Amino acid sequence: MNLKKSLIGGALAAAMFAAPAPAHFQLVYTPDVNLEAPAEVPFKLLFWHPLENGHAMDMGQPEEFFYVFKGERTSLMDLLRPATFHGAHNDSQAYEATVKVRRNGDYIFALVPAPYYEEGEDIYIQQLTKSFLNKGGLPTGWAEPVGLPTEIVPLNKPTNVIAGSTFSGVLLADGKPVAGAEIEIEYLAAVPDMATNRAGDPTVSPMPGGAIVAITDERGVFSFGIPKAGFWGFAALGSGPVKEHAGKELSQDAVIWIRAFDLR
Amino acid sequence: MSDKPNHERLKQMRFLSCLALAGGMSIAVAGGPAAAHTPLCSCYDNGDGTVLCEGGFSDGSSAANVTVVVRDDAGNVVIEGKMDANSEFEFNKPGGPYSVLFDAGEGHQIEISGDDIVQ
Repeated sequence: MNLKKSLIGGALAAAMFAAPAPAHFQLVYTPDVNLEAPAEVPFKLLFWHPLENGHAMDMGQPEEFFYVFKGERTSLMDLLRPATFHGAHNDSQAYEATVKVRRNGDYIFALVPAPYYEEGEDIYIQQLTKSFLNKGGLPTGWAEPVGLPTEIVPLNKPTNVIAGSTFSGVLLADGKPVAGAEIEIEYLAAVPDMATNRAGDPTVSPMPGGAIVAITDERGVFSFGIPKAGFWGFAALGSGPVKEHAGKELSQDAVIWIRAFDLR
Repeated sequence: MSDKPNHERLKQMRFLSCLALAGGMSIAVAGGPAAAHTPLCSCYDNGDGTVLCEGGFSDGSSAANVTVVVRDDAGNVVIEGKMDANSEFEFNKPGGPYSVLFDAGEGHQIEISGDDIVQ
């Protein structure tokens, strides 16, 4: 009886540790995504559970990091610096970069991280992540795909969504819409401090019921009402064409981050 | 009661002046959509004695052919030209203080002081 209990307890504890799995989110984070003047823009690349400020995962050397500006791709690999991120519970290997932004228009930042081995599920996870920055208010192509194997393309301008309005996106794999895909939605509750690489205090707590989920329709489109200002992440799990890495299952995900503001 | 005709006349006048404005603007931006946009212009010191200005409109429409005027601190025009097909205008940086006017017609002008144009 006691043995059974402790076995169950052990299994439960193991399950609990593996449980945050649904809300892995790769971040390509900079706090200010609407620039008026040319700037040296600091970026933090973190693999984390930003809604509950949970476990932070070690990133390997990214495979690609670039931005697309007016249809032209600029590699940022030479700007990457290893960094240590101090999550609420642990330290993790992260990366950072400082990117000079001068010309007006939309900058779409994209990261192809190294596949991450998730021990709890015995799979690899690779979150192909996009985030957006606008300089000078000039729209120059935020709604264009950047050509990742799988990606979410925004249907609302991603740098100034109004809290209380909706955000829609279309999920692509190999450039084609993916119907019936599950999109997990996450709020950046614990904003990382840019100077200290520490997780901030979470401004909200996860509500009951687990991950926030939307499903893409037959055109690959999902919509979500944005209830609160801040950064929101959307992740399509396993939508990418590559299904295996190093002899194990690979979940190649598409992640996008958007910035919402209160209309005052 | 008696101010109704006046009110009508005022409305008509406003309508007419709007038309005139719209006409002026569509000439200035060479037929670009004139409604629901604000002008945008940023200039950069290239560090090689030249200055680059890029224009545009918040709705994404082109600023090609928009007039750009560079003045010295006495207000004299030193350089005048038009934005190219890429909504850009490059000029030799004046020796003294200067300002740049992006002139897409009435209500669509932006003036930038040379002091704010940095590398």
